[in-house]
Amino acid sequence: MNLIREFWQSIVRRDPLSTDKGKSELVFLNVWLHIHPAKVKKENLKFRHSFYLGFITFFLFLILVTTGIALMCYYRPYPPQAYQDMKDLQFVVFMGSFLRAMHRWAAHGMVVCVFLHMCRVFYTGSYKKPRQFNWVVGVLLLLLTLGLSFTGYLLPWDQLAFWAITVGTNIGSYAPLVGGQVRELLLGGHSVGEAALLRFYVLHVAVLPAAMILLTIVHFWRVRKDGGLSRPVWKLKPAKPEALVTIGAPATVAPLQAAPASSSKTYGLMEVVSGKPIFETVTPEEEEDTVFSYPYAFVREAVALMATVTAIMTISLFFHAPLEELANPAKTPNPAKAPWYFLGLQELVSHSALLGGVVAPALMVLALLAIPYLDRNPSRRPVDRKLILWLFAFFVAVNLVLIVVGTFFRGPGWALVPPWVHVVGGAE
Amino acid sequence: MERRLQQIFFALSLLALALIVAAAWQANTPSWKTYQRSFLQLEAQGEPNAVAKAAVLATPPVIHQVMLTGLQRVDRCTTCHLGVEDPTMKNAPEPFRYHANLGPHIPSKFGCTICHGGQGLATDKDGAHGNVDFWPNPLLAKDYIRASCGRCHKEGDVPGVPELTEGRHLFETQGCRGCHKLNGVGGSIGPDLTGEGANRRAPEWLERHFLTPNAVSAGSAMPNFHFSKVQARDLTYYMLSLTNEDMGSYYSSVRLIPGPEYGRQLFVEKNCIACHSVGGVGAKTGPDLLGVTTRHSTQWLDEQLVNPELVYPGSSMPEYDLETNARKALLAYLATATPDDVQLILSRKTRAWTPEDVAIEAGKQNFARFGCVGCHGTELQGGVANPNAQGGEVPSLLHVSDDYTKDEVIAIIRNGRAPPLENTSGPTPPLYMPSWKHVLSDEDINRIADYLWSKQQKKESW
Amino acid sequence: MNRRAFFKLSWGSIGVAALVSAVGVSLAAVVRFLMPSVFYEPPQSFKIGSPADFPFGPPTFMVEEKIFVFRDRDKGFAVASAVCTHLGCTVAHFSSDQRFHCPCHGSVFGADGAVQHGPAPRALDWFEVTQARDGQLSVDKDKVVPPTYRLMV
Repeated sequence: MNLIREFWQSIVRRDPLSTDKGKSELVFLNVWLHIHPAKVKKENLKFRHSFYLGFITFFLFLILVTTGIALMCYYRPYPPQAYQDMKDLQFVVFMGSFLRAMHRWAAHGMVVCVFLHMCRVFYTGSYKKPRQFNWVVGVLLLLLTLGLSFTGYLLPWDQLAFWAITVGTNIGSYAPLVGGQVRELLLGGHSVGEAALLRFYVLHVAVLPAAMILLTIVHFWRVRKDGGLSRPVWKLKPAKPEALVTIGAPATVAPLQAAPASSSKTYGLMEVVSGKPIFETVTPEEEEDTVFSYPYAFVREAVALMATVTAIMTISLFFHAPLEELANPAKTPNPAKAPWYFLGLQELVSHSALLGGVVAPALMVLALLAIPYLDRNPSRRPVDRKLILWLFAFFVAVNLVLIVVGTFFRGPGWALVPPWVHVVGGAE
Repeated sequence: MERRLQQIFFALSLLALALIVAAAWQANTPSWKTYQRSFLQLEAQGEPNAVAKAAVLATPPVIHQVMLTGLQRVDRCTTCHLGVEDPTMKNAPEPFRYHANLGPHIPSKFGCTICHGGQGLATDKDGAHGNVDFWPNPLLAKDYIRASCGRCHKEGDVPGVPELTEGRHLFETQGCRGCHKLNGVGGSIGPDLTGEGANRRAPEWLERHFLTPNAVSAGSAMPNFHFSKVQARDLTYYMLSLTNEDMGSYYSSVRLIPGPEYGRQLFVEKNCIACHSVGGVGAKTGPDLLGVTTRHSTQWLDEQLVNPELVYPGSSMPEYDLETNARKALLAYLATATPDDVQLILSRKTRAWTPEDVAIEAGKQNFARFGCVGCHGTELQGGVANPNAQGGEVPSLLHVSDDYTKDEVIAIIRNGRAPPLENTSGPTPPLYMPSWKHVLSDEDINRIADYLWSKQQKKESW
Repeated sequence: MNRRAFFKLSWGSIGVAALVSAVGVSLAAVVRFLMPSVFYEPPQSFKIGSPADFPFGPPTFMVEEKIFVFRDRDKGFAVASAVCTHLGCTVAHFSSDQRFHCPCHGSVFGADGAVQHGPAPRALDWFEVTQARDGQLSVDKDKVVPPTYRLMV
């Protein structure tokens, strides 16, 4: 028995979880968990602050990586075999169609959730000083998510994939100076073919996931260094300096002595965070409202993980991933549509190639990146930020409308055809 | 709150378990397993004793597939159609029935979809029969399955499928190539038909199209050739066989089924009677061929055809570049050739032909083969409607020598010509004279001109 | 333990059991997923032709299937593997001594496939040959039979 206990304790070297020390050690002695703080503020655990969207996005990414690796065992990225392998996954591989469906719906889900996460962070003003650069990293992660979805879209090599990527890369080629060359570099040729499939595969399974993982590490690290999640907006009070204690206050107040020392609390170096948040002020009572990450934070993460997984599994049981005819360069479907997250762009491009395909998206991305630096309002409270919140809502609404129009209201020849009208004898 | 969260986590774990079990169960109970079980029960009925019955029923379910690299496909039809090669299943209910009359076309070498159509990769009924969205090649209706013979047997007669031979013949003589390219040769007015059988697999559409082109292709310039229903079906068979696929050498080696009819055709084409006789009828330069297949082995005769000098050094017999099956066909004919038949062949060549006769005949053959008859008519009468062209129709060629010199006509054939407009502000006429200089040699074009000149009818002089 | 503790324990155990089973079933599903359901290889079980195609006397060597088909006037058909059990080279059969010789490292197998000489660790396999419903001979490489197995036709 001693041998077993010795064996176990050689692996698990912390104190038992019934002790406070053990709970702390579970976090900071464990390589997988030590990105968490040992204790978190209770208010940051609230669902209605973050809706756990960041976690959900990350869990969707994990689902995508595992299902993706499984699918790689049966997929060859060469034109005739690729389509045959998709058919094999559908008909012959055990749970092949289920896994493929999970992969596809998790992908769409991740695009939606990363966008919702961005909206949440914007709404709560959590990009403000000192978190500006983390917002930039987040936008880069958004672009990577779109890139992963786009590169994966080509892999089934059916008509849907082939023409969506043809349209997508053609939109990109409108970028001035480098557009054409970047397109050729991506495609490994002048049009979508064998070379394009192989390059997109390499990007999709190796390059972009690696970049995504690296940036995600930076993103999580920065959240930690910025003191964890930002304060929920309902906790933010207008400043009344005398009554409040400022953490990391300006030079007139001595730092670290602001909070009265507690006899029951163990302060370790790892718990000190720097930064000078303004309006991020707490009362002495509130400041102590922290709980151990284990179990409070972890159980919430676990629930979020299970909810995400079961939701994707449920959708995958009932909805199969689509597969159209084998890609045929000689036969363009009418209309040929980009993937749904680029349909807004395609809608713009249909009005003006340069303005819609280059200027508008470039401005959008630059605007997004610049938000934390252009926003001079120090307050995070929604009442103080009405204008910018309405502007952002408008931006989101415009995007949604463009995507809805592109998806449902555009028929053959990109003509405006409401979805309730049946088009006779259209595509050939 | 914590308690509630634990309850939610608990519920979600149960849900996750249920979902994964549901997905695994769904994956483990495909419809093909049910079919296999039914088949095993059928097979077990034929077993003599309980032990044998149990052994049959214990066979594990497995997907059967035939890999056909030469045909670039994989067929899994035999996963459900398990009795296809089992004669004892002659009267079994479908899908277990025996497939009679396969001959050499066994599933392990040919699969099923090359003849029947459908989606070989699928393992459920609707998917495999191709009756799903996004599969352009569903099962062919029973009446048309024999058209698939033409996918491999591209020349000569196919026993049991006279429709194919007739369809090909109609295509070559009715002038289809005048407007449609096939395998690189033909006009560009209508669509290229090289892969038509791969593009369009709906036999009903094709037949309707041959009967009344404008009814199915709105605004088509294709004239109504007034084909009979039988002719339309024959042409449909031919169209269905034009799938233009890459086939491995094993399959392309039987382009031609060696039969005596084709052999006779070759006998006439290569003019063997110019040197040989059969039973005394014919020329005396080379040996008599009556009963030659009984005197020499097939191998010896075959070598003779490939390389006459090898067997008879100094022989004046030319080396005909005949492929393996063409040689087989010729020998098959020789085995049945009679003096009366050869007399018939001879009688067609009533007099010796002058070089001019040869040129005119060659021109006439070209005129039909390259589709000129499609617009200008088999009797050069013209008359096919061509809206807004001067005269409103394709001109007759019977009086072309009144308006043009021979060289001018040759130039028109070489370079093509757009017809002059009746109403210059009206639409362009759909039919035009294509340019043939890249398709026909100068010699061929000259011969066509010779043929035309031989047919000229003089206008009454004023 | 009191009621509350009992119920907490039981629900808790069920929840843990559900989670563990879900993980277990997922792992089993992954393993089954990785096992191919179809093989893009020549099949293990195949037809070789009708009995009349095979002569008596020296065996017929089928190069792609890597088998020898023996036909004995009295005893019938037998099919032997032509793959040497040492490192996989294709053995040759000589009528002069009725034995199988491997050119790679000199293994010699007797007429029944037993190792007589050389580095081969075990005898050549004999495969089950049966007659299918359409009269053709069917070989199943997944079914190894003793060297005395014969199919009388």
